[in-house]
Amino acid sequence: MKRFLSLILVAIMVLGMIPAASAETVQEALAAAAKMTNEELYAKAKEEAKAGAQMKFYSTTSFAEKAAANFMTVYPELALVYNEIDDAETYTILGNTIGSGVKDTADMGLTQNGPDLQTYLLDEELAYTYFPEALKDVVDEKNQNPAIVTYINSLLIYHNGNGSVGVNNIWQLTEAEWKDKVFFKNPTNETVNINFLIMLTSPEWNAKLEAAYQARYGKAWEKGEFDTCALQFIDAFLKNVNYTYTSASKMAAGIASGAAGNMGLFVFSKLRKVDEADRGNLTVLQLENKVEGFSGFMYPIYATVFKDTDCPYTCALFINYLLSEEGFAGPKSWNSSQGYYSPNKTIAKPEDIQDEAYDYWTDCLVFEDLEYINEHFVDVYEFIATRVG
Amino acid sequence: MRKPRPNSLQHEPLIYRLRAFVTNPANLLLVFFLLVLITLSLMPMVTMLTNMFTVHLGTEKKMYRLPVGSWTLTHFKKLFEGSDWSKVNFWEPLKNSFIVAIGAGILGIAIGGSIAWFVTRSDLKCKKFISSVFVFPYMMPAWTLALFWTNMFQNSKVGGGNIGMVEAVFGVCMPEWFVFGLFPMIVVIGMHYSPFAYLLIGGILKNMDATLEDSATILKASRWTIIRRITVPIVMPAILSTFLLIFSSGFSSYTVPVFLGSAVKTYTLSTKMRALIQAGYQGQGYIIAFISILMGCIILGINQWFTGKRKSFTTVTGKSGQVSLVKLRRANWPITIVLIIFISFVAIMPLISFALESVIRQPGNYRLSNMTLHFWIGTEASAYETGMIAGILLNDTMWKAVGRQVLLALVVALIVGTSGMLIGYACVRRRGSKLSRAVESLAFFPYLMPAMAFGTIYLAVATSENFKWLYGTFGLLVLVSAVKFLPFASRSGVNSMLQIAPEIEEAAIIFGVPWRKRMTRILFPIQKSSILSGYLLPVISVMREVALFTLLVPYARYLLTTMLFSFNETGYAQYGSAVTLLIILIIMIINGLTNKLTGASFDKGIGG
Repeated sequence: MKRFLSLILVAIMVLGMIPAASAETVQEALAAAAKMTNEELYAKAKEEAKAGAQMKFYSTTSFAEKAAANFMTVYPELALVYNEIDDAETYTILGNTIGSGVKDTADMGLTQNGPDLQTYLLDEELAYTYFPEALKDVVDEKNQNPAIVTYINSLLIYHNGNGSVGVNNIWQLTEAEWKDKVFFKNPTNETVNINFLIMLTSPEWNAKLEAAYQARYGKAWEKGEFDTCALQFIDAFLKNVNYTYTSASKMAAGIASGAAGNMGLFVFSKLRKVDEADRGNLTVLQLENKVEGFSGFMYPIYATVFKDTDCPYTCALFINYLLSEEGFAGPKSWNSSQGYYSPNKTIAKPEDIQDEAYDYWTDCLVFEDLEYINEHFVDVYEFIATRVG
Repeated sequence: MRKPRPNSLQHEPLIYRLRAFVTNPANLLLVFFLLVLITLSLMPMVTMLTNMFTVHLGTEKKMYRLPVGSWTLTHFKKLFEGSDWSKVNFWEPLKNSFIVAIGAGILGIAIGGSIAWFVTRSDLKCKKFISSVFVFPYMMPAWTLALFWTNMFQNSKVGGGNIGMVEAVFGVCMPEWFVFGLFPMIVVIGMHYSPFAYLLIGGILKNMDATLEDSATILKASRWTIIRRITVPIVMPAILSTFLLIFSSGFSSYTVPVFLGSAVKTYTLSTKMRALIQAGYQGQGYIIAFISILMGCIILGINQWFTGKRKSFTTVTGKSGQVSLVKLRRANWPITIVLIIFISFVAIMPLISFALESVIRQPGNYRLSNMTLHFWIGTEASAYETGMIAGILLNDTMWKAVGRQVLLALVVALIVGTSGMLIGYACVRRRGSKLSRAVESLAFFPYLMPAMAFGTIYLAVATSENFKWLYGTFGLLVLVSAVKFLPFASRSGVNSMLQIAPEIEEAAIIFGVPWRKRMTRILFPIQKSSILSGYLLPVISVMREVALFTLLVPYARYLLTTMLFSFNETGYAQYGSAVTLLIILIIMIINGLTNKLTGASFDKGIGG
């Protein structure tokens, strides 16, 4: 009987060690993969495929579906399965399924909202970062850990039916004239929007807002009802915004076919959803004139590999592909649309697309800094949530 | 006179009583379902209650600087303490939820009850058309009606200034309160559930003995007095039950407020619950879920207080041999025409609107030159800057989602329909016993839980340490749907079994016919149509449910309805409209096929 119990105990211990061992293996595999060439990775990935692995990934961006299809034409012996995931549920679903023992969980994700990625997946060691050494020279270090595969921007865009709206300072949008005419997706439902508003309270953007305030009103901003200039801006801005449209696509199409003079702060790439007949009705404010303060914001899509994957080399090869010109600028891929920017500095926007290079936007857009947001989320979220209504 | 069985045994030794108890299949069934329902219906409540008092990973951990899992009362303090936070996240949405739920309840009963009266108690023309078409809105997901409402009434003076059909055709601009906010929420939810009122109240009116009304007529009572003093009191239990059902559904509605309230910053408890959970305030989210359940219980209590007991869904009270129809005379055609126009607007116009919206490229432009079939049958090359590769009929992901949704509906129907029939059998055979009452109440309990709250509770259960393996699986969806949609099947089972005299089964017992044979050869064939209707209702409920599944599906395109919600939320209006039509078509095919083959239909499952 004792021997039997001992055997059971040993079996339990061995079984208990398996997840730790496999987690170790994924990390080791990713570390090894980072040093490999694509040919070597492909060979490893084929072994994974032969062993029955089929790489499943989640993405909050629909272009990833096309990227996966393009990938499979380049690497025909590999199979990728794309699954769209709603931004709102991303980390609830991933945080609970990865490492849970659920069969067929995802192998990797292309997700937005860095602070939650850090809190729910990376800090909990449910996801691992990966970046290929071969690309370290062409991608800035800040974009490598976790790997950013594309940036997406949200810009101030207006209906030009009445000509120019004459906005050249961001504080104008907080004035009575713009009441209910600025369209924005409810930040309590859209994580990148709340992250953008939180970023405005950072010292850098607070200073820029103070400068814009002075430029608009001819006097320095003074502390009064609000502790910082950014909080005053957020309060006034949210009083003016209109939440009629529940998605960026609806906002793009709605503003283009709606009342002249309306302004939206929405994802630039959604202009592709606007019918060609209406597209001429829209003007990107920043491309018309420089805006004092900011003219939108930029957020990244991060690629991470999940703890349970049985095909880390396939994941690594796919990330390499997305970071390469072939993957990012392939047919109908991210680079074929306005509003997507590769962190790989060697990949330029095609000339026939009405857009600017990544560098152009760095000065005028608010970038997501996951450390700052993590640190200040609670205070600013509550300030914003009580003003959303 | 024969004494009731339990009394004859109460002085027997325990062993004999126990033997008598276990040899009665009804007792075993009741014990089995009691255990199952305690586990699936009450135990999740315990998980939810725990979550109301503990600290979660993420925002709460950062905010309270406490380890995950620590006990705290801070969620309550924060949500109720009268600050701006509390007003915005709880008190104001609570008020709005009440207004929507009460308004929708009254409107649903007014519309559904009136039409039920005309169809069952008058000589109205075109009854068949009216009664078959009026149930369409119930087959559609509620928020698709909300989208229909905005497609119709949005105009250049509200929201983003986009022109809707009414302005495009008639040049009329409706005011903002008509297009967005509490009023359209009440109308849309009321319209969606009015077929419910029609079927429940109609079921009573259809079977009501006309003798009372005829006597009143002979005594020269006016038509209005007859309705007020005779008809309404008779249908009062059905009215109150309908109010309970619509109130609970309206109070917990999530999708309709999202689409109709955002534009005017009007939020309900359900929308706030989701926003709080998403932002990491899980504790407060679960408190809101609990309060939604509490509201359902309070309304149920009021309902029971009014009716004396909660068996008011029993609509078959004995067939009347006398049904005299009120003659509408010269008002007949005008009333018929008004009703046909109204029903066409609420039941047929949405279908036309969805069909049109699924083929137009440019919103608001209904010219032929603007139409395309790309969203239905487009190939990869021709699909219009799509969210999917190709049109929905040519897309693998879509067909997989259809397959899963239909499979889910069928599996759930099988489980729920069978459980409902067995619960009905056991409760009726042991009617009056504590065990029977407990099982009947527990089987109804899930209806009071808002779908969103129910999904949230199961999320909490399925993400707890012992059940993590369940999360993200098809099995979880089956489980959660089976529990959530059990109430109607169990009511249907109880109603159908009540109609069978116990003597029929007792005769078979005397001849030594085993229980399984009695069920399959006697009871089931007698009530085949009614029992099959109990199987059909969960099919329809699953086919159009979304709030229950939003948090539980592994990804947005997993099921057809979550895919549809995702399309609608992300602005793929054409795909969304096409999928809506597809859902309605599937429901109609299943309902039609079942009706053709077995004579059952989903309205019989409700009580029609």
